[in-house]
Amino acid sequence: MVILFQLLFILFALFAILGVVKRKQEGLLSIRGMLFWVLFWAMTSVIVLYPETTSMLASRFGIGRGVDLVVYVSIAVIFYVLFRLHVKVEKINRDVTAVVRKNTLDASKK
Amino acid sequence: MFVAIVPAYNEEKTIGSVVRNLFSHVDRVIVVDDGSSDATASLAEAAGALVLRHKLNRGQGASLETGHEYARSINADYVLHFDADSQFSVDDIAPALTKLKQKNADILFGSRFLDQRSDIPWFKRYILLPFGRVFNWLWGAPLLSDAHNGFRLLNKRALHAIHLTQDRMAHATEIPVQVKQYGLSYIEFPVQVMYREYGQGLKGAGKIVYDLFIHKGIK
Repeated sequence: MVILFQLLFILFALFAILGVVKRKQEGLLSIRGMLFWVLFWAMTSVIVLYPETTSMLASRFGIGRGVDLVVYVSIAVIFYVLFRLHVKVEKINRDVTAVVRKNTLDASKK
Repeated sequence: MFVAIVPAYNEEKTIGSVVRNLFSHVDRVIVVDDGSSDATASLAEAAGALVLRHKLNRGQGASLETGHEYARSINADYVLHFDADSQFSVDDIAPALTKLKQKNADILFGSRFLDQRSDIPWFKRYILLPFGRVFNWLWGAPLLSDAHNGFRLLNKRALHAIHLTQDRMAHATEIPVQVKQYGLSYIEFPVQVMYREYGQGLKGAGKIVYDLFIHKGIK
């Protein structure tokens, strides 16, 4: 029986996938990016609809409960995404510095 | 040509006297005004410095690299890193340059720990700087007696080899790391540090470690 949470989550996932496709059409997302996010939302939908699948996977990794596996994997993914974001921000910072420096040195030649 | 590079951010109280005092020891003074909101740039200019203005605040490492790039373009023979807050003594410049030339070294690192002139706060002397010293060494830098000292002298070879990518304070670790990486020769020299304010504390140290780790992720 589909409970309310599952129904709401599936609606949210569909909405998110729609958003991903739209971003791809606008050229803001690569094919790889689009595939990743579509797969991500499809997988989370499967997990929400059939929670026992995580228990099957968890037992293969020697983890007792499926929900624990989801929590562990989520934390690892969040930390990784955070690290990537910080690196990206630093890269942008570096680019800003390069522009500011060029601007400064060009002004000194005038 | 001997050029002093003075990175400055909101240093209107001290920049004028620092620039004037420097002129008796170097040929040119370049002040890199790092987006100050006070009168730092105009006071430095009035004191006779060439002022390079960052339109945005980018940090001390970024300012030093801007100064380096300018120094390379005017074919400077020697470059001095000197703080704008008058914590260093200009009397250390001439003997340091003589020592650099005598030893035929590429870079000279100032050190607070080679004589007794600096009144270093307890936490810095016994905790922060020893930790920084070991951390720098683990990060690939030579084991210097003073981990983060802004007084440095570079000859032309060092000026052209070293390129700073660390915009903030982690450049003080990046410089010795590049010295080792490019096989530059270095010496240490006692300099006096007069504490006007505390400067880098525990938070600053944490930020440096963070910056170094994050930069490892950037290609």
